[in-house]
Amino acid sequence: MKFILNYIRKDTWSPYVAGILLGVVGILAVWLSDSLLGASGAFENIAGMIGKAVSPKLFDNVYFNFIMPPGFTYGVMLLIGVFFGGMIGAATSGTLKWGKKDSANSDEQWKRIFGPQTWKRWVLAFVGAIILEYAAGIAGGCTSGLAISGGMLLAPAAFLFIAGMFASGILTALIIYRERY
Amino acid sequence: MANFVIALFLGAFFGFSLNKAGLTKYNKIVNVFRFTDMAVLQFMMTALVVAMSGLYALRGLGLITFPNIPATYVVGNIVGGLIFGVGMALTGY
Repeated sequence: MKFILNYIRKDTWSPYVAGILLGVVGILAVWLSDSLLGASGAFENIAGMIGKAVSPKLFDNVYFNFIMPPGFTYGVMLLIGVFFGGMIGAATSGTLKWGKKDSANSDEQWKRIFGPQTWKRWVLAFVGAIILEYAAGIAGGCTSGLAISGGMLLAPAAFLFIAGMFASGILTALIIYRERY
Repeated sequence: MANFVIALFLGAFFGFSLNKAGLTKYNKIVNVFRFTDMAVLQFMMTALVVAMSGLYALRGLGLITFPNIPATYVVGNIVGGLIFGVGMALTGY
């Protein structure tokens, strides 16, 4: 029992143990609620909700009417859970920080590559997130919703997606890091 | 309603496992593309293997039916994956 408690308090688990936990969560999601662990879809549901309220004309298209209908869906609830789950994870390992300015950019590797400015990190995170969400819309899911949830049902789409993701991820990392790769 | 409560709990465990595997950190995500830290792949593949063997076993026992599997449209999936990789290596999502 003490061993388990101590393990929970550890900052970084073995990825295999954490992977088993996620695998069990994936099984339970299908078993208990007949749905997959999608994360990126929730953002589109919320974006659709906001968009329909702000400019209904612009959002009156096939994508937001049929493929990603706006509304407070299962995925949105899941995303809220992910947020608090991540916080609980950080709290149990004692790395949860409140409102510290440098805690937004405490990654040593990031600072070495892009410089110490925090605003740079915000800008890059914002731009990168737009790219991510757009790509997830094209592919029909993100790492969790397509690669992991689709992969565990042996959907061909998931493995095509993983192949594309790693091909361009490696290339992008090569371009960013160049001789430091 | 019950479904939403389940979603909240499953999401919490999902976030918890991501946090504990270190996937909420920029360097973990980027280093998998530099082949210096394979935690992301180890985590993803373990989750995949556990979930797929569990799901197929449960389906074999007749306890569950599969939800709609993500649609395959080759060009969309690959192009989406290619763009996704750029964003992933940039932000460390």
